[in-house]
Amino acid sequence: MSRPPPDPLYILRGSGAPVNTLHFYCGGDGPPLLYSGSGKGAVHVWNLNTRRAEQVLESHNSNSVIWLDTFDGSRSSLISQGRDMRLCLWDLSEGRSAVTDSLLTGAVGFCQCSLLESQPGSSLLAHPTQDMEEVSVVEMKSWTQVCSLRPDTKLGMLMSMKMWQADSGPVLCAGYEDGSIVLWDVSQRHPLSFLKPLPEPVMCLDVHVCSQKGISGSSEKILQSWTVDGQRTLQMHHSVQMTNPGVSQMRIRADGKILATAGWDNNIRVFGWKKLKPLAVLQHHTDAVNSVAFSDHQDPTQRLLAAGSKDQRISVWSIYSES
Amino acid sequence: MGSVETECFLKLQVRSHLRTLSCSQERMELLHALRSLAGLLEDAEFTRTYYARALQVLVAKDWSKRLLHDHDKELERLWREMFLRGPAEPVLMTLLDAISSARCEVDRSSADSAQYREALIGQISALPSITSNQLRANTPEDLLPHRFYTLLAESILETLERTCQALRAGHDCSLSFISQLLGKVCIQGNGSYENPHNSINEGSNCPSGIFGTMAPRLSSLTRVDPLMQRVTQNLLEKVPERCMESVITGLVLSLKGPTAVSRLMGDLVLNNKKAQFVLTHKMLLQQYQHPSLLLKSVLGYLSLDSERRVLLKQVLRSVCQVWCNSSAVKHTCVEQQLYVTRALLLTVALLQNSEVQELRQELVQCMLGGVQCRLDSNIERIRRMGMVVGECLSQKLDTPGSQLQFQYESNEEIQELRSLMEYQAVEGEEPESDASNNLQPIVEASEVCAVPSQSITSLPVNDSDSELDSDDDLTPFDMSADQEKRISAPPRYVRDCLEGLMSEDAERFELSLQVAASLLRKNVTTTQEVSVQFCRVLLHLEDRYNTTLFLSLRQNAMVALTVTHVKPVVDYWTTEFFSLNYSLRQRLDILEVLALSAQELSEPIRSKQAAAQPIPEVVPPEQFDDITHWRHIVEKRIQSKTRRIGKGVTQPVKAAPNRFAPVAGCFFFPLLKNYDRPQTTFDLLGSDHLVLGRLLHTLGLLMHLAVNAPVASQMGRALLDFIWAVRFHTDQMVRRGVLFAVCSVFLGMHSENLLTDLGEDLMEARAWLADVAESDCDSDCRSLAMQSLVLLDRTLKAQLKIPEMKT
Repeated sequence: MSRPPPDPLYILRGSGAPVNTLHFYCGGDGPPLLYSGSGKGAVHVWNLNTRRAEQVLESHNSNSVIWLDTFDGSRSSLISQGRDMRLCLWDLSEGRSAVTDSLLTGAVGFCQCSLLESQPGSSLLAHPTQDMEEVSVVEMKSWTQVCSLRPDTKLGMLMSMKMWQADSGPVLCAGYEDGSIVLWDVSQRHPLSFLKPLPEPVMCLDVHVCSQKGISGSSEKILQSWTVDGQRTLQMHHSVQMTNPGVSQMRIRADGKILATAGWDNNIRVFGWKKLKPLAVLQHHTDAVNSVAFSDHQDPTQRLLAAGSKDQRISVWSIYSES
Repeated sequence: MGSVETECFLKLQVRSHLRTLSCSQERMELLHALRSLAGLLEDAEFTRTYYARALQVLVAKDWSKRLLHDHDKELERLWREMFLRGPAEPVLMTLLDAISSARCEVDRSSADSAQYREALIGQISALPSITSNQLRANTPEDLLPHRFYTLLAESILETLERTCQALRAGHDCSLSFISQLLGKVCIQGNGSYENPHNSINEGSNCPSGIFGTMAPRLSSLTRVDPLMQRVTQNLLEKVPERCMESVITGLVLSLKGPTAVSRLMGDLVLNNKKAQFVLTHKMLLQQYQHPSLLLKSVLGYLSLDSERRVLLKQVLRSVCQVWCNSSAVKHTCVEQQLYVTRALLLTVALLQNSEVQELRQELVQCMLGGVQCRLDSNIERIRRMGMVVGECLSQKLDTPGSQLQFQYESNEEIQELRSLMEYQAVEGEEPESDASNNLQPIVEASEVCAVPSQSITSLPVNDSDSELDSDDDLTPFDMSADQEKRISAPPRYVRDCLEGLMSEDAERFELSLQVAASLLRKNVTTTQEVSVQFCRVLLHLEDRYNTTLFLSLRQNAMVALTVTHVKPVVDYWTTEFFSLNYSLRQRLDILEVLALSAQELSEPIRSKQAAAQPIPEVVPPEQFDDITHWRHIVEKRIQSKTRRIGKGVTQPVKAAPNRFAPVAGCFFFPLLKNYDRPQTTFDLLGSDHLVLGRLLHTLGLLMHLAVNAPVASQMGRALLDFIWAVRFHTDQMVRRGVLFAVCSVFLGMHSENLLTDLGEDLMEARAWLADVAESDCDSDCRSLAMQSLVLLDRTLKAQLKIPEMKT
């Protein structure tokens, strides 16, 4: 008899709307923080020591916030993406809550942006555009466009993407509506590889850079992982079957040990990353889980898993964090 | 004149010597007499007339004493010489006579007479028995049956080989002695049998006995030597008629494959009437204990020669006739039917296309008749047999567009039957040359097998990638809670559940069915309001949405209904059972539900504390390990060794009222009411014997569950009356049901009631049971009848003893 699945460490209530996106920040001084973006345009900054919201930012004209990230390695520099087709940069230092800059992307979809800080002070941001299939990569400080990536063949809407720094320069992995995944060389502006693991739209994907492996999920029961080999081509790898269909987000923990998925069936699933061995089904939420995030705490035992759900709650778990 | 004189002289000489030998104690005299007798061994007259007599004197008692005690080398040498140098037959006869000390009253002077030969053959073939009767546990190895018959087989083989040489040299030979000997050995049951020593050593079920040695050797000899073929065929032809069957059976059992049979037997089946009868009729249609290898050999043998193929067709006709005979299906046991089925399939497989066309009419008729009466049967194995044969035959007949196809689950028996259709007589031969060589390939094969298994085990070691890539360091949590998510919620009220069962929404239907049983049991009062309506819905429920476990869920709900509101629901079931327009399935469901509910009612209600499962102790995650934590083990040990005074004595079992006893009559009697009123859709005593069988079984169960109830004796009487009408039913399932019911009556009724209430009926029942136990064709029926006889006798004995003790 295996041990029963753990209960959540604690629940963060009070976001007042479905929780769409989560982001941990544990660096610097001060308590570890969790940023959450809600369906009504509010961004909550949760102090994980007091387990209370320190700050609530009203933004994006009450349109839902679909993506959050911090930049410049600072807890007070926040970027948010909302359904009002805008990206906002926030300055939260010393209790401020001011929008310092914003960018009108014109994108009406649900695709989340991807931020890459290649060297300190200069960051690249990939965001969807008015053109549904296009990815635009811009330089963060000046909003100057570095490149625009459009597939030659018709793959449908851009659904999700992730950008990272490879040896030869930044690469971007983008998932499209018809289920295909394209690996782009950002500096050369041409597609490196193409893979179509699933027939349904790529709802989410994540790539673990160290292990050169990524995974994509869709509205079906299957999760399909793939590898990026030396020639930078995508190859099918393992796949795993879930009990219920639909994944809205998934994250691989930074140490490359486990993968967490946010399921439409209200469950959070945890898999071993190497072989996609199912490890746990975490049941707490009463509605679809929208987002999962792993904390980047320096102490591995403090690395938490947070999940935000449509039932307006954020559950925080400690799983496989004992060394 | 001269010859008469020498005869007289010889007679006198021999007499005086024999007298010396029997009476004298002087060593020199004895030596002299022996020497001169040994000198006479070359004399034909002596050996013919006096030799046997001389031998008798020499095996007399004082001689054995003399030889044993004196250790006289010279004397012993001469004595031996007397036996070894003379003709073998009288020596053997005398020695055996001496052993068995029962004289055969045979005219010894005419050594060639038929009587003498008969006696000789009898003695040879029974040598192990004769010797072991005398020597008992001290019988030498060579005279134990399996060894002796092997030796005998070797000598027969040697004789046959010598016969071949003699024939080549132009001499004339007669094999009739060997034939008779062979026949005698076989008819005594030593032709071929399973030898435990043999099967262990060689790992195969090689039959032993005289043919265990002879058959493989002959098979390999005849392969190269056509003269040997003729000799063997001749040998078999000369076997006396009464021994023919056992010789042929032994031979065919020991041979591997039809070509070997054909080489050894030649056209025996055509020339010998008895052999023909045995091979084409007795082995196929009357016996059924042989393995299918024998069938393959026999039928393959018939198919190998164009003249014999006529017989094959004849066999097909008779097998077809037996196979499609509906009374044979009813009155023969399943094993025999299986055997005949095998024979039929093999024969059909061996037919050529032209012959199939010729026999088409017979085949079609056999197929249609036989398949039909098998599908009617209540026994699944017989039905399956019918289906397989139907498919195979229609395939062979190759009627375009009208090939039979059945749905059934395949099992080993089916696969074996199907494989028979691929049988070809020629490929049945195994390339075996000599029995002694047989061992080698087996060893090699096992070595070959061992090699790949090693390489398989070594394979994963090379695949080092997988070792590093595993997620084994992370132990998974319990994921049993991970269920398919449902959109709609299960119903919470009985009426909602009822509506759900009638709804068109598949998911709602499924959920309602799943919770029905527990809802009905929880809400007793609401259930009682809608019970009959609910029953109707459940009875007519169909598995429209391919729900998993549909049948058991539905049955559970029906049982729950019956148990919560007994009277009206049981009334409903019992009236519906006999009413119009129900399928057999529905009627059978009703019976099952009645039986299950009765069972549940008759069980005492368990107290809630005992029923509740103890909550499993939560193991803190740090302590968790694959092996149980040591602390647990220690605690368990302490617990088991500790006596706790505070616990008190264990509670005595509390008596609880039997809930079934008051309502047993409601279950039982309505089911007996209408059985003999056939309706347009339901004829219990006619074609619907499947339901009748189940009904009887259910009645038996109800009777058994009502044990100790006041109504039991009335039930028993009614049931016996009912049974009386159907006890000679042709269907074996019904008969089994009847016997089961009888058993339950004997078990369920109190013994005093049994005697007073049933009285004369019991005696009649006893006679009938004894008859069934002896002569029913179904083995289950026989054993059930035995069982009930034992039960009946036991109760009667117990009952009849009591008055004796009082007086």
